Amino acid sequence: MSAETVSRRAFLAAAGASLGSAWLAAQPGDLAASLIRAADARRAAQRGEPLPPCEVLTPEQAADIEAIAAQIVPTDDLPGARAAHVLSFVDHSLATWAQNQRQPLLDGLAQFNTAVSQQYPGMQRFAQLTNDQQIEFLRANERNRFFRELRFATLIGMFSNPANGGNFEKAGYRVLGYDDRYVWRPPFGWYDDKANGGPN
Amino acid sequence: MRQQHQAPAVLPRRRAGTARFAPSTVVDFVVVGSGAAGGVVAKELSTRGHTVVVLEQGPRLAPEQFEHDEFRYLVQGALRNNWRKQPQRGNASVTYHRLVGGGSVMFTANYWRFREVDFTERSQLGPIAGTAFSDWPITYADLEPYYTRAEWELGVSGAQGPFDPPRTRPYPLPPLPVKSSGVLFERGARALGLHPQPAPMCIISEPHQGRNACQHCGYCSEFGCEHQAKSSTLVTVIPVAEVTGRCEIRANSYAGKVETDARGRATGVIYFDDNKVEHLQRARAVVLCCNGAETPRLLLMSSSSRFPDGLANSSGMVGKHLMFNGYAETTGVYEHELNDWKSVMVTRMLWDFYLADPARGFYGGGGLDGRYSGYPLFFALYGLPPDSPSWGAAYKRLLRDNYSRTMNIACHSTSLPVETNRIELDPELKDDWGLPALHVTYHDHPDDIAMMRFLAAKALDIHEAAGAQRKWGPQNFEQDGGYHLLGTCRMGDDPHTSVIDKYHRTHDVRNLFLCDGSSFVTSGRGQPTATIQALAYRAGEHIARLARRGEI
Repeated sequence: MSAETVSRRAFLAAAGASLGSAWLAAQPGDLAASLIRAADARRAAQRGEPLPPCEVLTPEQAADIEAIAAQIVPTDDLPGARAAHVLSFVDHSLATWAQNQRQPLLDGLAQFNTAVSQQYPGMQRFAQLTNDQQIEFLRANERNRFFRELRFATLIGMFSNPANGGNFEKAGYRVLGYDDRYVWRPPFGWYDDKANGGPN
Repeated sequence: MRQQHQAPAVLPRRRAGTARFAPSTVVDFVVVGSGAAGGVVAKELSTRGHTVVVLEQGPRLAPEQFEHDEFRYLVQGALRNNWRKQPQRGNASVTYHRLVGGGSVMFTANYWRFREVDFTERSQLGPIAGTAFSDWPITYADLEPYYTRAEWELGVSGAQGPFDPPRTRPYPLPPLPVKSSGVLFERGARALGLHPQPAPMCIISEPHQGRNACQHCGYCSEFGCEHQAKSSTLVTVIPVAEVTGRCEIRANSYAGKVETDARGRATGVIYFDDNKVEHLQRARAVVLCCNGAETPRLLLMSSSSRFPDGLANSSGMVGKHLMFNGYAETTGVYEHELNDWKSVMVTRMLWDFYLADPARGFYGGGGLDGRYSGYPLFFALYGLPPDSPSWGAAYKRLLRDNYSRTMNIACHSTSLPVETNRIELDPELKDDWGLPALHVTYHDHPDDIAMMRFLAAKALDIHEAAGAQRKWGPQNFEQDGGYHLLGTCRMGDDPHTSVIDKYHRTHDVRNLFLCDGSSFVTSGRGQPTATIQALAYRAGEHIARLARRGEI
């Protein structure tokens, strides 16, 4: 399936057999423990303390995953994947509800880095490349399954509810211009302003 | 609850029921499933003096436990049938919700009545080769009083539209405030000479029966309503049933078999509790309201020496004629901000293409609606134009530029009843309870595909006429899964070609009734919930009448 054009409903129905299926159908118990940890980490980060070390990823693996995530959603005038704590989300997922995906993902990363070292002599890992080299390499490998899986996980970490450990300080919501206050009154947008009593 | 919500102005003051029955107690009815149909049937039977146990496979959640978490509920499906514990095989998958209130808690809340033609279309159009296209054994006039009861007892917001069937009472509540997607949909449709109208929604626009009005949070589809403004059975009829003191809603109870005796009568339902301990809830009669996948599965699992091909299956029709409804989604990007992530999913729809038209060269009909284009995560995954970058600086910029300026026009349409589209028991695969897994076979009829393509083209015309800067639609219309699970235990007068009679009693077992999407003979135009619930009101009333006369 084409991840970019598939409809929401088709995705939901087909998800059991499709890209990203590894991230589906966690047990609620797994999630409860994860949410407590995510909340603790969030509070620590808000106090300016460093994030706890990764549970699963080595420092080198973490640097590569974070570098790839930061290319998927880079920082501009708004925060990107780094500021959203996507790495923490991915690491914790691999430690808990997505643990059966840990080895496939790490194998995919290792193969990715083998290709990096072949293409860029003297380099061993993605994180060692310059920014331009990283972009060049990802452009050439954007259909790679490992990259697409990591993209899926990165976007969940970036844009889903902050309670899950990513989307720190609603970084993803700010990128979208989305406001999660959850109680609204009309008018809602520019086009319904007049219908709902406004000047437009 | 993790987010801060404004406290509802009026809190429901119904007291929880106290009825508790031992499984060994012979109650009047055991109802399997507490969703759109089961909740209504339980209320209709218990308020008429009957004792009722409702078995629900999912948990019971209080409204304040409903959260806005896409990862948990959409990606991981925390309240859906669980693909790991309840695996499926076949070429398509079925999705339903497992919690007290079922899909009525989690649905988008579109609430379209059927029209007269939906019940008699076969007589008007003639047969369609390769299908079991048939009239219903009931008419719109038979069902109209029950649509009205559903709308008033549950709480539906809307306004009579130009193509609506006759109604004996107006909607109890005025339409919800129009959103920008509704304004644009209306603008585009009117420019093309079409007739848009407020969408009927099972969400209350004003306080109703002690519940607070919609607060426009933006999370209806796939989420429960923490404000209790969505008129699910969980917050409407189930509390009424419980307050009788005669109805027990037994959550976390997974039904595995309808038990029958030597005379061929149902004696109760075998189910597993939360610890997978097996029980038999004994009852004088059984009503299955699981859904169009699980009701036939339960019948097929209830085979015995007397019923070797499954219970109530002398016709061989149990599980056959599965219909998903056609569904296609088109997207447009507009100049100004719509902010369609606020409020209910849909505020305007149209029925100009409802009737089948032989001039098109294929059978079918449907409706269109203007709607939101996705919650934050799903927009990031799937919301941009098809030629967009999928990562990097340009991708991020497009997300920001487009999220608040995008809307969808969705197309809902007919599915023809095809015998080979069906629910079966997988011969090998088992679920976590050791029961045979669902096996689903589904191929859209060519006319269903043609209708989806026809409507998607109309939807793109509306985007164009409304001034969309960009617009796109699907390339491939074939469906590989469904939420609307219809037609698999169809209603009919002939026991050789149908499973239940027009009062929802199985032709084969006198004290076994089925009422949910499986009862449908035809699919309607894509929004089945109002009809499921009207059927449930009617079934409940008739089953109670039969009981009163000693005819069960």
